[in-house]
Amino acid sequence: MLTEQSAYTNRWRQISPVAKGLVSLFGMVAAFAAGSPRAALLVAIILSLATVLGAGIPPARYLRVATPALFFLLASCLSLLVSLEFNHISTFGVSLHLSESELPRITQVCCRSLACLTALLFLALTTPLTDIISLMRRCKLPETLLDLMTLSYRTLFVLSEAVHETATAQSARLGYATFKLSMRSLGGLVANLAVQVWQRSQALHLSASARGNDGALRFLEPDYPGSHRAILSAVICGILLVVTAVYIP
Amino acid sequence: MSNAILSLKDVSYSYPDGTSALNDCSLTIRRGMRTAVMGANGAGKTTMFLHLNGILRSSAGDIQWEGTSLDYSRDGMRELRSRVGLVFQNPDSQLFSASVREDVSFGPMNLGLPKNVVRKRVEEALLSVGMAESADKPVHNLSYGQKKRVCIAGVLAMEPEVLVLDEPMAGLDAAMQEELTVVLERLHAAGMTIIIATHDLDFAYGWADEAIVLQRGRLLAQGNAADVLLRPEVQTELGSSPLVAEITRSLALTGMAVRVNGYLPRSRSELLKAISEFHRQENEQ
Repeated sequence: MLTEQSAYTNRWRQISPVAKGLVSLFGMVAAFAAGSPRAALLVAIILSLATVLGAGIPPARYLRVATPALFFLLASCLSLLVSLEFNHISTFGVSLHLSESELPRITQVCCRSLACLTALLFLALTTPLTDIISLMRRCKLPETLLDLMTLSYRTLFVLSEAVHETATAQSARLGYATFKLSMRSLGGLVANLAVQVWQRSQALHLSASARGNDGALRFLEPDYPGSHRAILSAVICGILLVVTAVYIP
Repeated sequence: MSNAILSLKDVSYSYPDGTSALNDCSLTIRRGMRTAVMGANGAGKTTMFLHLNGILRSSAGDIQWEGTSLDYSRDGMRELRSRVGLVFQNPDSQLFSASVREDVSFGPMNLGLPKNVVRKRVEEALLSVGMAESADKPVHNLSYGQKKRVCIAGVLAMEPEVLVLDEPMAGLDAAMQEELTVVLERLHAAGMTIIIATHDLDFAYGWADEAIVLQRGRLLAQGNAADVLLRPEVQTELGSSPLVAEITRSLALTGMAVRVNGYLPRSRSELLKAISEFHRQENEQ
């Protein structure tokens, strides 16, 4: 929900999603092109500063959105440090092994991932998902995938509202008073939701046919004023970013 | 009837589970009219609406558009659905996209119109329901009444000749009902045929030109709303009569024959006007 809120209220909301997508893409290219951990870190810092200072995302919110991803990044880097060794001489056959020689490579991978993460966050926090989907539609991604994304995104909110309403109604009748009752209510909630999902899909199908639909979902792509200039500046910034990443020792 | 735009002739329909929803139902919708469809829950209002748009196909009987039977082929349906716009009761079950503008574009895009035409229609439709400022907001941040208006815009963007609304006033507060009435009035003035299913007798009495009353899948009464809604059998079926009509009648019993421009008042404001008019004339004499 935080991402959602930022995407709709940030300073760069009205800038063409193509431009923002390009910056994000160049950011990822720069992350992979970075010759050293230092260069990758620099890319990450530039992109996060652009998101916080440029798009005006509050730093605290930025950190909160990034935390879960950072946690996963940390966990995977730590697991890279430690490797399993199959030892035929030892009686147990397997031993843990701290790979010191691999340390530079692991640092490199971690810093690159961090830079990629900031590039993705840049797009996610400045561009609403509907814009991202229409951007993907422009890139000629498969229709079925995009229709699924459109419907699931919309249904997410409808469902979360239904969950909230049912859960409130249940707790109003003491449905969650004890552990046993909670389990019972939770079961009821899931069963009720299953029926609701089915009914809603029927209703959606009906209203789609009523509006003359006979297959793929077609929508009008949003129009952004002055997008040529924005795209040009995005390309220039992106190239500069990649060049910086390559030439920083 | 002469200017019939849509008519049902002895239409019957049963749902797959065996529930009979329409039973030899015959009725006529007239072009350019404001028609109120009334009836108890389960009387067949929604089922009838789904027939008008070709979503349900009757098991017996005939449905006609300007005197010609409906063509259920793919092209025929596309044409019918561009002419008859259907707005369902629950807005959450008919909004597809989380973006207001995108959702409104759904219908006209399905018609296969060129993009610049679609863009123009979307803006016009949003403007006509008063949602132009909210066009960039995500759908899930809109209020219930606003979502309802987006649904109406989604149908208006297809520029239908007939607009069918299933209980549009349900769940709206008084101010939003008033706003919606203004929107409907504007569409009616532009020549659109409007059909509304409602349980609000007072609204129907004040708003509609024509009234259709359904009873267990059959037509109970049809005709001029002011006459139909005062018929004894209709009052028995609907459980009451329009408040304004009842007050006018009671006033007449006390010797106050109130009129607006020579007619019986049909809405609250007309009634108040008629009473003050009556007093003014009394004082003059």
